[in-house]
Amino acid sequence: MLWYKAWRESQARFLITALILIAFCVFVVLFKPFIQANVSLLMPLHLRKAAYSEYIYNLVYSGQAKGVFALLVIFLGIGGLQRERSHNTAVFTLALPVSRLRVIGTQIALGALELAALALLPAVLVPNLSSLTHQVFPLSEALHFSVLWLTCGLVIYSFSFFLAVVTPGEYTAPIACYLLLMIHTVAAQWHPLRPYRLNLMWRMGEFRTMQWDQSHTFLLPPPLSWSALSLMALISIALLATAALVTDEQDF
Amino acid sequence: MLFYKAWLESRTRFLLSAITMAALASLFVLMNKDVRADAAPHATYSQYLWLTIYKGYLRDIFVVVALLFGMGGLARERAYGTSGFTLTLPVSRWRLTGARAAVGVAESTIMAFLPAILLPLLSPLVNEVYPWPQALHFGLLWSLGGSFVFTMGFVASALFSGEYSAPIAAVALLFAYSIVADLPRVEQYMIDIHDFMRGTGPQGPLALAAVIATSTMLIAISGFITRRKDF
Repeated sequence: MLWYKAWRESQARFLITALILIAFCVFVVLFKPFIQANVSLLMPLHLRKAAYSEYIYNLVYSGQAKGVFALLVIFLGIGGLQRERSHNTAVFTLALPVSRLRVIGTQIALGALELAALALLPAVLVPNLSSLTHQVFPLSEALHFSVLWLTCGLVIYSFSFFLAVVTPGEYTAPIACYLLLMIHTVAAQWHPLRPYRLNLMWRMGEFRTMQWDQSHTFLLPPPLSWSALSLMALISIALLATAALVTDEQDF
Repeated sequence: MLFYKAWLESRTRFLLSAITMAALASLFVLMNKDVRADAAPHATYSQYLWLTIYKGYLRDIFVVVALLFGMGGLARERAYGTSGFTLTLPVSRWRLTGARAAVGVAESTIMAFLPAILLPLLSPLVNEVYPWPQALHFGLLWSLGGSFVFTMGFVASALFSGEYSAPIAAVALLFAYSIVADLPRVEQYMIDIHDFMRGTGPQGPLALAAVIATSTMLIAISGFITRRKDF
C-alpha cells in the first residue's frame, strides 16, 4: 500500500519526464537528416557533418537530453512528510501503522526505481531506433551512460529529497537544489578542484574524456570509474539516510 | 495588500535566486582568470563574460528561476485549502492574477538587471573594464526575455493544479518552444527567446514590442483561465 501511495504521488512527474525524454530521443534519432540540415536547430555548426555516434553523443548524452534529465530529476526527488504537512495530510499518513522510516524508505526506493527507469530510457530507445534508420549506436555505450545518469542522477535526487525534508515552502527545495547544482558546476572549475572532476554534469556526459575508435567510426567513452561512482552512491545514501533521520525527529 | 500577498508567497524563491545570481556573477568576475583559462582560453574579457553570463551558465539559471517564479496562484491554493479565503477578498480574479503577474515581472526584472549592475561595478577590482551601455543593453533584453519565460510558467500554473506538474509542464513547454522556434520557416515568424536574450537574435523595436505583446497576451490568457475555473 505504501508503494502504491508513493507511486500515486510521483506518477505525474515521472510520466511527464519519461514522455519528454522519449519524445526527444525519437526526434533526435528519426529526424537526424532534418536536424543536421538545419544547423541552428539544437546543435552547433561543426556538428553538421558529424558521425552518427558523435551526433547522438552531443544531443542526447552530453546535450539537451542530459540537461532536461538533470533538471527534472530535481522534481522527482521532492517528497517526504514535510510536503504533506503543508497539505494537512501528514497526520493521516502518520496514523498508518508503520514507522516513519518505512514511509520515507518506500518513497526513496520508488524514486530510485523511477530514476533507474528514466536513466535506462535512452539506452532502450537509441540503439533500437538507430537500427530502424540503418544506423548503429553501440548498446554497451548506451548502457555506460545509463550507469552514469543513474549514479549522478541519484546524487541530484538525494540532494533534492534532503532539501525537501529540511526546507519549508513548496518551491524552495527545487529552486535551492537547482541553484546548488549550478553553483557546484562553477565551483568545480576552480583551479585547485579541477583535476578531481567534481562537476556532475561533466561526469554524466563524459565531458572531454570521449575518444574515437581506431577506424574513427565510433566516439567511445573511457572505462567506468567505479571508485568515483561508489563515492557518489555513498554520498547519496548518506544524504537520504540523513533525510530519513531528520523526518524521524520532526514534529508534525 | 494583493501585492504584499504575492510578495510573501514568492519572496523565498526570489531572494534565494537573487543571492545566487549575484554571487555567481561576482564569482565569474573575480575568478575570471581561472574560469576563462578553462572555458574560453582565447576570449577577451568581454567575450568571456558574454560566454559565461549572457550566453551560458547564468542565463540558464535565470531562465529556469524565471520559469519557477511563475508558479503558484489559485490552483495551488486550492490544494492547500486556502483558495476560499483568497476568493472572499473583495477583488476580482483578474486583479488577483494581475497583482501576482506584476510582482513576478518585477522580480524577474530585478534579477535581469543584477548582472548588468554587478559586472561594470566589479570589473575594476580585477583591473578590467566592462562597459555600462553593453551591460544595460543585456539587462533590457533579459528583463523582457525573463518576463516572457515567467509568463510561460504563469500560464502553466493556471492550467495545471497538480503538485509539481505545473513546473514540469512549464519546462516541457519551454523545451518544445525552443525547438519549434528554431525550425526552418517557423524561425522567420517566431522570436527565439534564447537568441533574443543572448543578444544574437532580433533586437529592434519590433522584436521588443513582439516580446512584450506576447508576454501580456500570456498573462491575459492566464487571467482568463483563472476567471473560468471553479475553485
